[in-house]
Amino acid sequence: MDKKLKKFIQNATRVAPKISKKGEIFELRNGLVSQYPQTRKDAIKKTIQQMTVGKDVSSLFPDVLKNIATSDVEQKKLVYLYVMNYAESHPELCILAVNTFVSDATDPNPLIRCMAIRTMSMIRVEKILEYIEIPLRKTLQDENPYVRKTAVICVAKLFALNAELCKELGVLEDLTAALEDSNPLVVANAIAALTDIHETDPTVVPLPELIKDHISQFLLALNECTEWARATILGALADYTARDAIEAQEIIDRVTPHLQHVNAAVVLATIKVVLLNLPIIHVDTQSPIFAKIASGLVSLMSTPPEMQYVALRNMRIILEKYPAILSRELRIFYVKFNDPLYLKLEKIEILVRLVDPANLKQCTLLLSELKEYAHEYEPEFVSRAILALSQLAVKYSQIKFVSKVLDILLELFETRVEFQNDCLISMCNLLRHTGEQDEQLIKQVCLVVDAWDATDTGSPQSDYAKCNYLWLLGQFPAKFTNIESKLNPFIETFTQEESLSQMSLLITVVRLHQSISGQLLQNVLDLATHSTQDIDVRDMAIMYWRCLSLEDADDTLINELCHSVLPEIPTTLDTFSPELLETLLSELSLLSSVYFKPAAAMHRQAVRSEGKLKGKQMHELESLAQGEILKNMNEDNLLDMDTDFLSSNTTSNDTNGTALNELKDLFHLDSSQQPKSNQIEQGMNNLTLNKKNGSQSTNTQDLLDLF
Amino acid sequence: MASCVYFCDLRGKCILSRRYRDDIPSSAIEKFPTLLVDAEQESAVVPPCLSHNGVYYSFIQHNDIYLVSMTRSMSINVAQSLAFLYRLVEVLTEYVKTVEEESIRDNFVIIYELLDEMMDYGIPQITETKMLKQYITQKSFKLIKSAKKSKNVVRPPSQLTQSVSWRPEGIVYKRNEAFLDVVESINMLISAQGQVLRSEILGKVKVKSRLSGMPDLKLGLNDKGIFTSGTDLADGTAPPTTKKSNIELEDLKFHQCVRLSKFENEKIITFIPPDGDFELMNYRLTTPIKPLIWCDVKIQVHSRSRIEIHCRAAAQIKKKSTANNVEITIPVPEDVDSPKFRYFHGSVKYLPEKNAIVWKIKTFPGGKEYSMAAQMGLPSVTDVDTPKSKRPVQVKFQIPYFTTSGIQVRYLKVNEPKLQYQSYPWVRYITQSGDDYTIRTT
Repeated sequence: MDKKLKKFIQNATRVAPKISKKGEIFELRNGLVSQYPQTRKDAIKKTIQQMTVGKDVSSLFPDVLKNIATSDVEQKKLVYLYVMNYAESHPELCILAVNTFVSDATDPNPLIRCMAIRTMSMIRVEKILEYIEIPLRKTLQDENPYVRKTAVICVAKLFALNAELCKELGVLEDLTAALEDSNPLVVANAIAALTDIHETDPTVVPLPELIKDHISQFLLALNECTEWARATILGALADYTARDAIEAQEIIDRVTPHLQHVNAAVVLATIKVVLLNLPIIHVDTQSPIFAKIASGLVSLMSTPPEMQYVALRNMRIILEKYPAILSRELRIFYVKFNDPLYLKLEKIEILVRLVDPANLKQCTLLLSELKEYAHEYEPEFVSRAILALSQLAVKYSQIKFVSKVLDILLELFETRVEFQNDCLISMCNLLRHTGEQDEQLIKQVCLVVDAWDATDTGSPQSDYAKCNYLWLLGQFPAKFTNIESKLNPFIETFTQEESLSQMSLLITVVRLHQSISGQLLQNVLDLATHSTQDIDVRDMAIMYWRCLSLEDADDTLINELCHSVLPEIPTTLDTFSPELLETLLSELSLLSSVYFKPAAAMHRQAVRSEGKLKGKQMHELESLAQGEILKNMNEDNLLDMDTDFLSSNTTSNDTNGTALNELKDLFHLDSSQQPKSNQIEQGMNNLTLNKKNGSQSTNTQDLLDLF
Repeated sequence: MASCVYFCDLRGKCILSRRYRDDIPSSAIEKFPTLLVDAEQESAVVPPCLSHNGVYYSFIQHNDIYLVSMTRSMSINVAQSLAFLYRLVEVLTEYVKTVEEESIRDNFVIIYELLDEMMDYGIPQITETKMLKQYITQKSFKLIKSAKKSKNVVRPPSQLTQSVSWRPEGIVYKRNEAFLDVVESINMLISAQGQVLRSEILGKVKVKSRLSGMPDLKLGLNDKGIFTSGTDLADGTAPPTTKKSNIELEDLKFHQCVRLSKFENEKIITFIPPDGDFELMNYRLTTPIKPLIWCDVKIQVHSRSRIEIHCRAAAQIKKKSTANNVEITIPVPEDVDSPKFRYFHGSVKYLPEKNAIVWKIKTFPGGKEYSMAAQMGLPSVTDVDTPKSKRPVQVKFQIPYFTTSGIQVRYLKVNEPKLQYQSYPWVRYITQSGDDYTIRTT
């Protein structure tokens, strides 16, 4: 008894490190080599604490390492944690730990075996890696699935650290074999590891074939593993294309129960698999599946806001492929007053997309809801709501509805002074949609805008708003009084304007060249050719100038230019190009689907250490060139989703078209030697061509072709 | 797959971190606070996914901390990363009660251990608290003691990697009981004119299981609920709201212990429950309902002198039922003064920090209608700025022994093949307000 007590006291004794002048590190070192186990453990904890707050305690490495041989699992864990953190700065000392690692990897306790192999494969020290072979092999064949599931991931870690060694050891074959494991968790981790390796170097493992060969195992394992493993397996299933309708149907049937899983990641992954298999199956079996997907999507709206955000971004992609899928669920997406702002904006995006343009009742319902939003106070939210009003009107398209929306916009224009810019843009969108067919609408808008500059706030502020304002002047000059005085302020500030406004001013002035004074025209052309930073504006000005000063007596060319009727815009919602849409659909729930940028395009930005030097130069050049072109295109890039306004503005597209064609010319060096007049002709052709199609995807396609 | 997980304080400064991959420099987190501030300054829109210099930050906020996960690859499953962060919070909550800056700092050892166990190389592993608690415990001295008895007692439970990964074997209770709570939260949006714009019922079935061994449970709900909605979903052709007698439980979501394929095929809810508390299922209903607590608020603003508020509230529920803890929060402009209230029921308070008055009624019997009037002075000098936000009236309440949807538990059969014991299921029902039971103001 006495002995026991003594031992207990010895074990439990804690000598609190005293604060002395020699500093904390000294005290910690003292503690680490103390004769009392509990004191040593406390000292390790303190050391880790220091490490956590970012202090450099690497000088204690040898002392901490001494504590690695212990039967106390927690202490072992702490030492391992420490070693992992500092191994890089003390490679020579790590050798001391190797023996412990290797022997721990054969410990009877699976927890310790796991920890040893996990830590060993994380240490970025070549010498350690030399010793990894035997423990790794052993643990890959361990009888305990808990150890096996850890070991398969270690293969991926090893591959990332030293791919050559990994191939040499032949553990990749073991990893592949793990797909046959009886334990679903091991299978799932093996898939994750293989996916990771495949991403780094697609040549080492034939992932698609492996998935193909194991489809039935995956489907079986799906029902028996943890939620995360399910998500991983579903991810692998999404990479597989079913052979025929029957198989696709089977996959869908097997995964759909997971739409009812509580984990949002599993639900989203399931939706992805179902959507990818949907086109393959028979059309008549599709509709019940749509109902299930819809309910799965809707259920994601009762998750935390961040999850909802991901879900909403994904829905935007899904809705573009299947616009009717959520059309019964309008109310779910109504904005809640305590939603974070980013959620409110996304919800509006979804609302205007899912609304069924054939359903007047629903459109009216949404209209009153949007009107409510337009009376809120967060500026971004109100702006978006005002834009959404016009998007809804354009979508429903019927003239009576449009004029109803216009009335709301006009009212907002009067009452919400700080949002007049947004109202202006929205109203112009409406006019662009209805074209010239409704005199009444045009009259109403022009009347308000004409009177606008008499008020205190009477001038457009943002680049878009200015551009629209100028477009309105150029399009319906008869409706305005005193056009020159309206144009003059823009000419005065020409050099400070952004390129879109410069361009619009130029176009408007040329359009009106017959009705305004020659002085003003001359002035603008001068400014646009000499004082602009933007090459597109300059080129365009030169072109117009030449056209105007052509000796030809017949003005057909210039008349054609000035009186061309703009196409009516069918929609003001931004859309993806078909290729992008397909790519994004296959990348649902991935980060790329949140940014709307395909992963493949962004993937190699993070070049791994080997390819870094080589990759960098090329990449830099590429991004430089890309940046330049993007800038010239008024940041009008299909990949950028904020271009909804631009897409409705063919004038800017015209210039993009010409700029691109010029760039193309540059690339085909021989064609750049053409006589100048010829070039202008060509430019003109391009101009009218682009005017007609006015679609962005061609531009982007060109852009992509250039590389 | 996430490269690392960081805990940061509200200013974005790192408290604790665990790096799973070394493709992101440890300096990347230092950029996080600036990213937050930049995003906020630019447009006030701060989405939960930010990027800088090829590093993608996904984060959630909980109490006074941010949980950030970072990656370099666009092809990671972001839904999974965010779901993992939420799960992490859940698990930590069970370990340290409240997850906040202080508790993170105090419990760094156990948090490191958990982070190690819950994620490996960015791949989420075991996140079931009940199981984690089997081998990651807070009382470290216990480990020493047991370690002395036999060297390796702390082992990962073998169920961890089996198909029932959420329940350890060998649980014994003297009295075998299962408690079921059916909780329905009502979300409702009512226009200023009193029209119901949106309503939904969010239902949950919470279970507290105190059962021995490995019991297999079968839950029967009134087939009106589960059964018809099941067939509805299955053939997808039945028009949803034509038959009034049918409840359409939409989007049933089950805890991972429920055999999903069995439900899909046979519409039977069977499961082996985790031990202790868990949420068995949740569902949503969008059948239009009338407001349970009807509330009509008239606000009259006499510019620069005073504001008058008249509020009438009625409990539109059965006479037998009562609504408890009814709380009606009415927004008022900033800087109002000398509030005067007239009321006969409950209590009214002005909360300057929330710019609102709150009318609390402890018990509100069904069918009754109460009213309240308030008058407050407005500051004679005001900013020209319009008010910053337009807030709705919020209503909170609880109605016990009652579900709006009419869902009922018919039976809960417990079958433990080996022990064959008698067990007692208990069921409670409650309806309460959701987090969005609001009435718009004009």
